[in-house]
Amino acid sequence: MADTVLAAPLDERESAHAKTSSSRWKDFKDDWWKHLLLGIISFFLFFPFLVTLSISFKDLSQFATQPFWPTLPLTWSNYDEAGRIVIPFILNSIVICGITCLGVVLIGALTAWVFANYDFPGREILYYLILALLMIPSILTLIPTFVVVSRLHLLDTRWALILPWIAGGQVFAIFILRTFFAALPKDLFEAARLDGAGELAIFARIGLPLSKSILGVVAIFNILGTWNDFLWPLVTLTSKDIFPLVLGLYRFQDQYYSVWGPLMAGYVIGTIPLVILFMFTSKLFVQGLAAGGIKL
Amino acid sequence: MEARKHRFHASIAGSSLIEDTSVSTSVVTSPATPLSYKKHKHSLWQRIVRARYYYMLLLPCFILLAIFCYYPAILALWGSIFTLDYGRSGEYVGLQNFRELFNDPIFIKSVKNVVALTVFGTITAVTVPIFVAEWIFRLKSDRAQYIYRILMVWPAIVPGLVTLLLWQFIYDPYYGLLNAILKWVGLNEWSTKAWLADPDLALYALMGTAFPFVGGIGVLIYLAGLQSIPVDIYDAAKLDGASGFRQFLTIDLPLIKGQIRLNLVLSIIAGLQALTGPLVLTGGGPVNATMVPGLYMYQQAFTYGRLGYASAIGVVVFIAVLALTILNMTLFKDD
Repeated sequence: MADTVLAAPLDERESAHAKTSSSRWKDFKDDWWKHLLLGIISFFLFFPFLVTLSISFKDLSQFATQPFWPTLPLTWSNYDEAGRIVIPFILNSIVICGITCLGVVLIGALTAWVFANYDFPGREILYYLILALLMIPSILTLIPTFVVVSRLHLLDTRWALILPWIAGGQVFAIFILRTFFAALPKDLFEAARLDGAGELAIFARIGLPLSKSILGVVAIFNILGTWNDFLWPLVTLTSKDIFPLVLGLYRFQDQYYSVWGPLMAGYVIGTIPLVILFMFTSKLFVQGLAAGGIKL
Repeated sequence: MEARKHRFHASIAGSSLIEDTSVSTSVVTSPATPLSYKKHKHSLWQRIVRARYYYMLLLPCFILLAIFCYYPAILALWGSIFTLDYGRSGEYVGLQNFRELFNDPIFIKSVKNVVALTVFGTITAVTVPIFVAEWIFRLKSDRAQYIYRILMVWPAIVPGLVTLLLWQFIYDPYYGLLNAILKWVGLNEWSTKAWLADPDLALYALMGTAFPFVGGIGVLIYLAGLQSIPVDIYDAAKLDGASGFRQFLTIDLPLIKGQIRLNLVLSIIAGLQALTGPLVLTGGGPVNATMVPGLYMYQQAFTYGRLGYASAIGVVVFIAVLALTILNMTLFKDD
């Protein structure tokens, strides 16, 4: 009972019956001003991108005569040109962010598991030490981390991105996962121990599968964070073949500024991967935030 | 007193490593729970050695953290008191970097800029999403709610850089969207402005890149908060005759204080460190009109090689962020 009360949108009980088309229309009439306002905001949210889309199909002459409204015929060659440059960047991003995500989830889960299930001297101290890292703004550590990476001779390699990202990403993961793991029923683990399972086996065979949904949320947050990170790759990478997508787009823009067609095509291509990811994981994403409400 | 006696007994008995016997021999007399009883029984060192398996499992995490998080943080604080010019070995200069910093006109200007940007950004990032979340929340149709919720997340999906680059195009003086719209509307005098290159306009142009100020996460957080308000409160309010707007003021706002605070803190932290916006759009110019401490630090380190000075900038921003965060958390205490 409590669940339905909390999770329901307002007025759900009034419309608990199946929606007929007339009741839908009534809903719309009552809410028309909200739809108007929300519609306007959505328009402004999407308008720049729609213009980008339309320009991406123009060649220079089409742009000269009609810069913004869509023109036919669609110049697909822009996408050819842009794609040749941008798609390798996308592949780089997939590899780098994928490895990072895997690292964060595995190491973060293991660490959170240990914190959640076992007691040992200094447990809370170590935990708060980790949490304290959340307080450090990235601006402070930008340059020193660069120095560290440079001294490790990792500059201009994928590892310059992956290792610091795993290090930083696991803090958040541990924060979220520890609470979740601590709430798992311990009897399952006891039973497994009696059957002779080692601790790591319990973690891998019982704990992880039980936590698939929250691990998914952690993974998505991590992918979003690392995919869009622009500054760190900018600072540490110089060879174009390892550029992740966002850095690649920046360089691409340098090269192609005022060649509007391919430029816009590049931006469109650059947005597609995350849109696809989002389409497949939207439920997880939206509900992961809604679960219990995140607040300070 | 009791505890110490037990510890003495246990170590003499030599059976301290076997948990069963230690619990069974002393559970009658010890008032503590078994867990804390163990603490009295074994020395700290013994407990650490026994837990070594767990420490080992924690190693991957802490090794990474040590190398890439803790050490750089310490290095930042440490480096700020040296003149670490790239190539030269550092000389200890104490607080001279900071003294130079506070007399540096560019730095002072950058602080003014970042404060303006952060204030504006925080106000819009905290307030506008509340209204949007409210409107979505009070829609009668579930389907409409779902659709708008997905739509509002859009800004979070597009890479931030792409958004910035789009704004670069929008602000372009000759081909840009903004000037084209202005010309179309008839404001010809405004339609030739170089928004990002004009010292008077550049900062405001930067502020405008957040338009329409619905950063994806903010709306979702508020929405989650609103949805966790028990419906009974609304029923009671309706019975008392409270209108929608009254409900908003007296019920919704107080009950999402936690979310408001979260947004506030996150916005301030992000705003003070802002770096990519000015970096990509204006390079800090023109004439430092859009310089911010983050960008200044970046330039000092990577263009001029003054690592010590740059670290000092980082430290100052860090202290400011920390102070404001603590201030926020104490001022707006949860009741």
